[in-house]
Amino acid sequence: MLRVIDLTRRYAALTALDEVSIEVRPGEIVGLLGANGAGKSTLLRVAAGVLPPDGGAVEIDGLDLWRAPLAAKRRLGYAAEEPAFYEELSAEEYLAFIAGLRGLDPVAAREHAQQLFRRLGLEGRTDEPVQQFSHGMRKKLSFAAAVLHRPAVLLCDEALEGFDAGSALEAKAELRALAEAGSAILFSSHVTETVERLCHRAVLLHRGRVARVLERSAWGAPAAGPSMLEREFLAVAGPPAT
Amino acid sequence: MTPFRDPSADAEAGGRHRAFRELERRLMRRRISQLDPWLRVELIALALLIGAFLFWQVRVPLDGLHHHAGPVAVVRALGAAWLALALIGAVAVAVRHRRSLRVAVAGPIWLALPVTPEDLGRHLAWESRGHVLWVALPGLGALIAAIGLAPAGGLALLGAALAGLLALAARAGTAVGERLATHGVGRAGVHPLFVRLGETGVAAGRRRVGRGRWERGPAWRALWRKDFAIAWRRPGVRTSLLVALSLWALSLSAWSLAGEPALRHFAAFALTLVGAAAFAEALVVLSGSDPFATLRTLPLGVGSLWIARFAWAVLAVGVLSVGHGLAARELTPQALRLFLVWTGGATLGIAALGVNYGVTLFPRADAAQRLLGLSLGLAVAASVMIPLSGWIVLLSAILHSARRLPYWSRLEET
Repeated sequence: MLRVIDLTRRYAALTALDEVSIEVRPGEIVGLLGANGAGKSTLLRVAAGVLPPDGGAVEIDGLDLWRAPLAAKRRLGYAAEEPAFYEELSAEEYLAFIAGLRGLDPVAAREHAQQLFRRLGLEGRTDEPVQQFSHGMRKKLSFAAAVLHRPAVLLCDEALEGFDAGSALEAKAELRALAEAGSAILFSSHVTETVERLCHRAVLLHRGRVARVLERSAWGAPAAGPSMLEREFLAVAGPPAT
Repeated sequence: MTPFRDPSADAEAGGRHRAFRELERRLMRRRISQLDPWLRVELIALALLIGAFLFWQVRVPLDGLHHHAGPVAVVRALGAAWLALALIGAVAVAVRHRRSLRVAVAGPIWLALPVTPEDLGRHLAWESRGHVLWVALPGLGALIAAIGLAPAGGLALLGAALAGLLALAARAGTAVGERLATHGVGRAGVHPLFVRLGETGVAAGRRRVGRGRWERGPAWRALWRKDFAIAWRRPGVRTSLLVALSLWALSLSAWSLAGEPALRHFAAFALTLVGAAAFAEALVVLSGSDPFATLRTLPLGVGSLWIARFAWAVLAVGVLSVGHGLAARELTPQALRLFLVWTGGATLGIAALGVNYGVTLFPRADAAQRLLGLSLGLAVAASVMIPLSGWIVLLSAILHSARRLPYWSRLEET
C-alpha cells in the first residue's frame, strides 16, 4: 500500500505540493491527472525518494520512505518521466545491474527481463548501449526496470508516453497483472483516455492540492480490449510480442 | 496579422551578426553569474596558489639569469616562454574545438536556423576560445616573478605581447580544430561545417557492448561491476584512469633509473603520490557518472556506494605494492616495508578523500574535482613549508569530508 500523508514540497517561494494526501490500496491502480505544473511529477519524485519533502510523510507498504529508505525502496518501483541511465551499459547489462542491486534471484530476474524485452519490443536490441536508444525505447527500458522486481508499490510518471500502440497494450496488461497480484500503482498521465481505461480511481491535482477524487463508477466502464485505432495499428504493425 | 516578408540580404546579415554578439554577451554574463560565491572563492584561492607556486619556482632561475646575463636575457627568456605557452594554448583550444564539433555542440539545433556556416563557425569558435585562458595563469605568474629583474617598460610590453599571443593562439587553435573536425567530410553543395554538424553525436551504426551478468551478491559488488564497465566505456573516466595508471607505471620504472639511489627512491615515491591524485580524480569522475534519479530510487545505502568506490583503491594499492615489491630490489626489507606502508597509506588516504568528495558532493562532480585539487594543493604547499604537515592537512580533509557522508541520502539534484 502507498500512503502519501500531508505532503508538502516547496521550490523557493513556489509551493509545488501543499499538504497532499493520497492512499493507493493493494490491487488498485490510481490515475493522477492535472495540468502542466499541477505538481504530479513533484509528487511522484517525492514519493519515489528522489526529492526530500518539506513536510508530511510517504509510506511504502507501512514503511516510512525517509526513515527506512532501504527497506521502503526494496518494495518500490519508479518509471520516471525523463528516465536516466548509465548510457554506456547495454539494456541487459542495466537490468542485470538493477537486479543485482535489488538482490533478486538471478535466474528468475533474467527470465522476467527477457519476457519484458520481448513484450515491449526491445528484443534484438538488448546488447546495444542505451545511448543508441530512441526516446520510446528508453521509456520502455525504464518501465522494465521499474517492474522487474514486481514491486509492492509502483509509481509511473507518464510511463507509457513514447510507446508504440502494441507495446503500450502490453505494458497496460503488465500493470493490470501487477495490480491483480496485489501491487498498488500510482499512474500519472496527461492522457485521460488511458486513465479511464486503466485506473480504478483518479485523483485530480490542481496547483499542488488534491482538487477531486473520482471513482471509476463516475466515468463508467470503457469498452474492454483495444480501441478501434489500436486494432488498426496492430493489424498493420503486428503485436510486439514475437 | 502582418504577413512574413523576406528581409534584404544585408539586413539579414547585420541582424545575424548583432544576434550572435548579443547572445555571446548574455552567455558570458550568465555563466559568470551562475558561479556560486564559494566556487568563486575556491577558484581565486586555486589561482593564487598556482600563481604563488609558479612565482616561487620561476623567481630564482630568473634572478640567476639576471645576475649572469642582464635584464635583456630575462626579457628574452620570458618571450620564449610566451611562445611555448601560446603553442600549448593553441593545441588545447584545437583539441577542445575539434572535440566539441564532433561530439556535442552547445546551443539549439543550429542547422534548422537561417545561419551561414561563417556566422556559426565564428560563434562556435568563440565558445572554444576561452580555454586558452588556462595558460594565461602560468604566464602571469612568470611575469610577476620578473618584476624588478627587467625594465618596467619591457614588462609592460611583455604583458601586452602575452595577451596578443594568446588571442592569436586561440584563433589559430579554433581554425585548426575546425579543419581537423571537418577533414574528410564533404557533400556536394554543402559547407563541410554543416555536414560535420549534421553528423555530430550521431552513432555511425549499431554498436553492441555486451550481455548482462546476472549474479546475486551484496549491493556494493553490483555497483563495482557496473563501475568497471563504465570506467572503460566513458571517455572522461577512462582518461583519468589511464593517466593514473601511466603515472604508476612510471613510478615502478623509476627504480631502474641510473644515478643516486635517493633520487630513484624520491622519484618512485613522488610519482606514486601524483598517480594517487589522478586516481582520486578518476573516482570523483566515476561518482559523477551516476544518474541522480536512478540511484535515489534504488535500495542503496551510502555504505554500499562508498565500499564499491573504495574497493578500487584497495585493489590498486594491492597491485602497486606487488609492483614496487618486485621493482625495488635495491631496498632492504625494512626500507621496502616502510616505503610500501607509506605509499599505500597515502594512496588509500588520497583515494578516500576522492571517494568522500565524490559521494558527498554528488551530483556536482565539478565541485568535487575542484575541492580535491584544492585540498591536495594545500597539503603539498603545507608539506613544502613545514615537512610532514601536509599529512595533517590531508587527514583533516578526509575526516571533515567523512562527516558529511550521512547526509548523502538527503542530497538534491542541483
